[in-house]
Amino acid sequence: MLNASGIIKNFPGVQALRDVSIEVRPNEVVGLIGENGAGKSTLMRVLAGSYRPDGGSLTLDGEQLRMRSPRDAARHGIGMVFQEQSLVLNLTVAENIYLGEEDRFTRFGLVNWRAMNAAARRQLAKIGIDIDVTARTSELTFAARQMVELAKALTLEEVVERQLLILLDEPTSVLNAADIEVLFARVRSLKSRASFVFVSHRLDEVLAISDRVYTMKDGAVVAKHRAAEVTAPELHEIMVGRGLQAEYYREARQLAPRDTVMVEAKGLGANGAYHGVDLNIRAGEIVGIAGVVGSGREEVTRTIGGFLQHDAGEMKIAGDTVRFASPEPAVRKGIGYVPRERRLEGLVMFLSIAENISLADLSSVMRHGAIDYGKERRLAADWIKRLRIKAPGPDAACRKLSGGNQQKVVLARWMTAGSRILVLDHPTRGLDVGAKEEVYELVRDLSAQGVAILLISDTLEETIGLSHQVLVMRDGEITARFDASPGKKPNQVDLLRAMV
Amino acid sequence: MNETSIRQMFEGKWTQGAIPLVLLVALLLIIEIAAPGFLTGETVSLLFANTAVLFILATGVTFAILLGGIDLSIQAVASLASVILAQLLPSLGLAAFPVAILSGLAFGTLSGIVHVKLRVPSFVATLATGGVVTGLALWVSNGRAITIEESGRENTAWINAAVAGVPVVVLISAVIGIAAFLALRYTRFGRQAIAVGAGEPAAWAAGINVDRTKIIAFAASGMLAAVAGVVLAARLSSGSPVLANQLLLPAIAAVIVGGTAITGGLGGVARTAVGALIISIVRIGMTFVGVNIFLENMVFGAVLIAAVAITIDRSKIAVIK
Repeated sequence: MLNASGIIKNFPGVQALRDVSIEVRPNEVVGLIGENGAGKSTLMRVLAGSYRPDGGSLTLDGEQLRMRSPRDAARHGIGMVFQEQSLVLNLTVAENIYLGEEDRFTRFGLVNWRAMNAAARRQLAKIGIDIDVTARTSELTFAARQMVELAKALTLEEVVERQLLILLDEPTSVLNAADIEVLFARVRSLKSRASFVFVSHRLDEVLAISDRVYTMKDGAVVAKHRAAEVTAPELHEIMVGRGLQAEYYREARQLAPRDTVMVEAKGLGANGAYHGVDLNIRAGEIVGIAGVVGSGREEVTRTIGGFLQHDAGEMKIAGDTVRFASPEPAVRKGIGYVPRERRLEGLVMFLSIAENISLADLSSVMRHGAIDYGKERRLAADWIKRLRIKAPGPDAACRKLSGGNQQKVVLARWMTAGSRILVLDHPTRGLDVGAKEEVYELVRDLSAQGVAILLISDTLEETIGLSHQVLVMRDGEITARFDASPGKKPNQVDLLRAMV
Repeated sequence: MNETSIRQMFEGKWTQGAIPLVLLVALLLIIEIAAPGFLTGETVSLLFANTAVLFILATGVTFAILLGGIDLSIQAVASLASVILAQLLPSLGLAAFPVAILSGLAFGTLSGIVHVKLRVPSFVATLATGGVVTGLALWVSNGRAITIEESGRENTAWINAAVAGVPVVVLISAVIGIAAFLALRYTRFGRQAIAVGAGEPAAWAAGINVDRTKIIAFAASGMLAAVAGVVLAARLSSGSPVLANQLLLPAIAAVIVGGTAITGGLGGVARTAVGALIISIVRIGMTFVGVNIFLENMVFGAVLIAAVAITIDRSKIAVIK
């Protein structure tokens, strides 16, 4: 039905898709797996018309496809359910389902809301979901919103004459086990009317729902299997594609932490996001937190970084009780936050490397009360050399650097500011393998220098591989603690059991 | 110099700063060709003196714009300062100057606090403050212009004087310009203000006290607006609640035409100086070719729109509000 061959997509500094070919047959669920940054989402966006490929061709039922926008894709019967949910929260369910399609219910310039609500109700009934179509979307649970997205994608069958292709981009990442079962049941029952491409990095789920599975790695398809003929561990090995975990995460360099406790939390809680969190991080120690979206681990890291105030329990930084209203006092306490949203919170993209490195501690480049531009530039040049940052020079704007090099600039800034505690929020997100290894190298260096590190990450391997100690959170609570000293690393299954 | 560095130069900050300067030189050349002998020392000195008030006002609003905000209260604050000066000169003498200027500092700070603490967008906060300030000026002056009488004029004469042939107003604006330039380029506040304008979430995450930086910027904007109002009052020997009413648009136009990005984070006082001179020359040029004086702001409005439309790379901005 759909045939993508030789798809190429380039972004500045990185080839996101290199010669990717996949095929989707009628009434089929195709699984697409890969680590973060493998190119899954990019491929989905190409199929959905959001990105235009730089090379290769797309055909649908033998007919050449040239899509300029998601709207074009919709006209061909391709709909997408987004990873980051794309519903407008202050509109009703019905308004969301027919967003952009109001014309169909419009007469004399006025929208016939009753007709729209009735149509929305019919759509939801078709997939067997009972949701009030006049409810504001913001009032729904994540699971219900996901169903609304699915219903929205299925409205295409009202206007398109052919079988639909529905793209599901990590639909399960925010759902619990029961909701996932519901979703899967819907997908199975809809297979007679549509084909699906299902993206996830949870292998068991992919194998459970898919007929065939493509494995992506570093922007290319590296394997395809019939789901019945392959096991999760086999897929995992292909997906990760490297022999020795220990070497990849520099386990040999994992030293015993020192005695000084840098971060100490007792019964910490915030705003219902998490509660009763006890946490100790010693100098030189890396503590990883594992957990799904909504487990509260993000909020714990945001609290330590100064972005979210805790309202219960106590937090001590290097022995002093603190409660941060903003990142400023946290930075003054020697905490550096390396955010997942590098382009938004990590760096001031329009400023130069030199200006970003000195930003958290301007006094390091001031002389006689004035900024010394020469000193600032020399400092940056020094970091560029030490961290092997690939850049034309200290004056280069950060927006022109690749993700890995941007991350090095963020770390250089915190090292300049003398941070003794680092919060790493998905530090390798969007980086290619080489850049990841450089970041791991740096993290080990920092740890060896006695920096206390709190880590949350996209993958369990990374969390396990880097950490001295792994905590698992679920529903705002710590549900398990694992020692992760070299040679005693917990395995993923144990962690997963505590996560869901 | 190799090919890439030349290309970078043209893509980079350097050219964005140079284009207004080229425009300024071109305008001067046009005038010189149209009216040979126009550009003598005397007329240039007059040009600078006529630009002084606009430049001081524009320098203040540069702080707000660099932060990614805007200060719409400057003309109201300048007018109030002129009223306060004219009212108080007879009783306080020279002490009327600091009082008038401090009123600007106070209302600028107020705008800043409203903006950051109540989380009101700066254009709303300063629009509202401007309304309050105008009301106050009208009330204090009874809605009338207050002439600075003979006795008061003794204390304003120094502003209209010249030192070694250079008008004092030019010296005042030079001192303010240099101080603002140094503050933006070499102080912690200046760097942090630019960082906030260029990327507020990242600046915040880096531990910058964003609220304080913004309040200082709006306080500076208010204070410089008051200085402009005081200078204007001294030059015209009059204070009035509507004295600076036609100056908001040219001041903002001067900042943007000078090459400071309306989105914040890029620009500075040197550019504003160039922009203010361009606006001034355009104004003189209009008089010269006989454009009705009432049409001036029409031209400035068009210039402002053109400058913003040309300079912003709108493809990078998803939503324009």
